[in-house]
Amino acid sequence: MKKMFSSRVYLLSATVLALVWVGAARADDTMDAATKARIEAFEKGPATIDISKYPTALKDNYDLFSQKCTQCHKLSRPINSDYCLPSEWSRYVKRMMRKPGSGISSSEAKQIYEFLAYDSSVRKKAAVDTKLAAETAADQAADQAKIKEVHDKYDGK
Amino acid sequence: MPGAPGGQILRSFVNLNEPTDSCCPQPDAEPTATPACVPVWLILLALVLLFFGAIYFDRHSGWFDPKVYAPYGSADQLAAYQPQSGDAAFAARGKTVYESVCGLCHGSDGLGKPGQAPPLAGSEWVAKDLVSLARVPLAGLNGPISVAGKDWSLAMAPMGAGLSDADLAAVLTYIRGAWGNKSAPITEAEIKSARAAISGNAPSAEELAKLTPPERGHLVFKKYGCFQCHGPDGKGGVSNFNAKTAEQVPSLIYVADGYNKAELLAFISRGERVIPRKNPNGPEPPHFMPKWGGIVTTNELSDLAEFLFSLKPKGDKLDF
Repeated sequence: MKKMFSSRVYLLSATVLALVWVGAARADDTMDAATKARIEAFEKGPATIDISKYPTALKDNYDLFSQKCTQCHKLSRPINSDYCLPSEWSRYVKRMMRKPGSGISSSEAKQIYEFLAYDSSVRKKAAVDTKLAAETAADQAADQAKIKEVHDKYDGK
Repeated sequence: MPGAPGGQILRSFVNLNEPTDSCCPQPDAEPTATPACVPVWLILLALVLLFFGAIYFDRHSGWFDPKVYAPYGSADQLAAYQPQSGDAAFAARGKTVYESVCGLCHGSDGLGKPGQAPPLAGSEWVAKDLVSLARVPLAGLNGPISVAGKDWSLAMAPMGAGLSDADLAAVLTYIRGAWGNKSAPITEAEIKSARAAISGNAPSAEELAKLTPPERGHLVFKKYGCFQCHGPDGKGGVSNFNAKTAEQVPSLIYVADGYNKAELLAFISRGERVIPRKNPNGPEPPHFMPKWGGIVTTNELSDLAEFLFSLKPKGDKLDF
């Protein structure tokens, strides 16, 4: 009897695990597993950025970023994202801005983009350097110019 | 007992403990029980019975599995559990394919949806020759059509183009036999020849080679019915109730801003089954982005991306 009972317990746990696995697999239908895992990993990270050392002029941009982007997803998603190049942020911010009902105007989108490009060049410097090194010469020059542009605009203000 | 026995009974009810005038207990007094021990063997017997009962329960009860305890709802339900083969399996397959591919718009009852999909029940198109019928799922439908005495203006993607011959034969046979339709079944071989006949109408490889990638992509956009949800020019605006994107299917004219080619192709291939809801407690939005990978070919996808990139209005440039 004892043995039988414990085998039941194993059977029960196996069933529960199988159900959880099936549930997870079903959730994956909506997104490929790699993308889902990537986004979830981002969202587990910190949800705020310490901007006390950033130019004061960037504070409005940060507020705008916090307010607009949280309409649809957690702020930790972009904050911890592996996007870091200006070209990536430019594309991504435009993609979000063009969603119907985003309520992000083109000037606001630009402010959000500038904040993200500036923030990445400081906070994700290592990742930026790695990605820059992997780019073609033309793309690399374009991204470097954009980083310089946003620093010229905000540094010391 | 001479005299009045009724009087004695009454008296014993009135006061049972009162000694009677006689020295001996009355023969007809209420019997009294005295405490007595249950024999040990009886307890042991009960325990042994309980023990074997538990073993029996464990072996034969099914452990409260509803399949053991719940009765079948109907004979049909019971029949559905039986393994199938031959014609029955073919019919079951047709129903399954119908529910997962066609039923979303044409309804499980074959009655269609007003303004979106015409009925299949009683439709003269279902009874037509095989090539005419198979053309609908294989090549899609565009423009006006009359179904069961009612005029429709339709746009249907070639939903069956990705199905196997066997599945398509099964689903068309199901449609031809369900909801009162009474047309002959269709075999896999017939679908094969119909597919060949229909593909003869598609633009040839030479014709396609003369077109630019965006032009070819436009044909892909039409072929797979992208315009059904994203509009004829990709400008969106089709209502999608309770979708977070302002309850609309998104416009495509700015994808050139938001995606590079690899990202766009990945998104189209993957689709987006779950559309975020405007009201989280509200209903699921009716439209979602199908998973086109495996349906649209790699070359077609590439042309489609070029077409979508070409949609961006000229001179509409953001300064970042």
